[in-house]
Amino acid sequence: MDCNEVNRFLDAYVDGEIELTRQVDVEAHLASCSECERAVEAATKFRRSIKMNKPVYKAPPELEAEVRAALRKVSKSEIRWIAELRRPLLYAAAILIVCLLCIAVWIATSKNQERALIAQAISNHSHSLLADHLLDFAAADRHLLKTWFTGKLDYFPPVADLSEAGYKLVGGRLDMLENRPVAAIVYSHQDHVINEFVWPAGRRTIDFDVQAHQGYSMCGWNKSGFNYLIISDLSQENIETFEDQIRERTE
Amino acid sequence: MRQGPADRLTEDDRRRFEELFLRHLDAAYNLARWIVRHDQDARDVVQNAYVRAFKGFQRFSGGDKSRAWFLTIVRNAAYDWIKKHGPEEKFIPYDEEKHGDIISIKKFNDEFASEERRQQLKHALERLPLELREVIILFELECLTYKELAVALEIPIGTVMSRLSRARRRLRKDEEYGT
Repeated sequence: MDCNEVNRFLDAYVDGEIELTRQVDVEAHLASCSECERAVEAATKFRRSIKMNKPVYKAPPELEAEVRAALRKVSKSEIRWIAELRRPLLYAAAILIVCLLCIAVWIATSKNQERALIAQAISNHSHSLLADHLLDFAAADRHLLKTWFTGKLDYFPPVADLSEAGYKLVGGRLDMLENRPVAAIVYSHQDHVINEFVWPAGRRTIDFDVQAHQGYSMCGWNKSGFNYLIISDLSQENIETFEDQIRERTE
Repeated sequence: MRQGPADRLTEDDRRRFEELFLRHLDAAYNLARWIVRHDQDARDVVQNAYVRAFKGFQRFSGGDKSRAWFLTIVRNAAYDWIKKHGPEEKFIPYDEEKHGDIISIKKFNDEFASEERRQQLKHALERLPLELREVIILFELECLTYKELAVALEIPIGTVMSRLSRARRRLRKDEEYGT
């Protein structure tokens, strides 16, 4: 190290903040350079002189109380974290209410749709009971009936044979439900006509318990992608039994 | 709406914080007073720094670094105060030629303590530009290390070293060690 370099690290050296390797170099130089040695001595003295005469400002005595008060104020307002949460809670409540409204609207809409469906089914059924409107195709054999439906609909309605259970397959026709052509499969039981409507469920599946409207019993369900709706002037118990039979015999 | 980690501070935190940091009150006031140069302003800065430190309490890792950590906050609060209340000199870099002969402490090399000395040093320090003044305050008066200075001032250690040398040269400008 030469004098310039030593001068550069002189303060760090005096402050004891110099790296060890450099310290060795500086000391080696100082041993052979009296001028730099004097500079170090002067710097050391100067530093000590500052340390001894520190022009320090002491905090005014009341400052501590002021600071404590300020901190208390902060911590008080910070502690009321419920107040801080009020807004997020409001948002959550609002979202919840909107969700509930949506659900209510959805339920109301589907109830309406169900009501419309039932009204349409009743109308179809009563229309079918008029002379010559029951069947487009008479068939006691389910394969024949299936064959007849082929090409008339864009799906293949399942047709169940329920003769063993006392439900005679009479035939079928095309009908309209929910603004689409659907298969109407007609059974008879103790001289009562049963209309069974079958159509692909798509996104709207139906499911409602046995109920009576305008003297007709009916119920609806979905299975394997098809909606089933049966309607008849049979008693509600009979309709329920019929539903069980159909459910059992359809895939 | 306030936010951040302060939301979770409790009364216990406050007591713990006060115990840890009120002991640095004199140091904080001294630093603030030297930076903003006015008693009431320095008090405001100190209060503000305490509030800030409290809100950032959870980020404080603890241990023996509390002093340097807190003084850094005080310094930042003081700088913010200056930014807000008009910077007369504050961010103007020191100009060797322009300020060359302002300070002269004669014969400061023999060591003894005296009120006269203290006043002399005070006046000399007061005339140093902020950039140099604060390294003297933080190193000589507040006893931070070079490393802590580097963190507090956000400069490399080499710059700490050269800035401190420069500040001392300014203070010591006399016949013997004049440039």
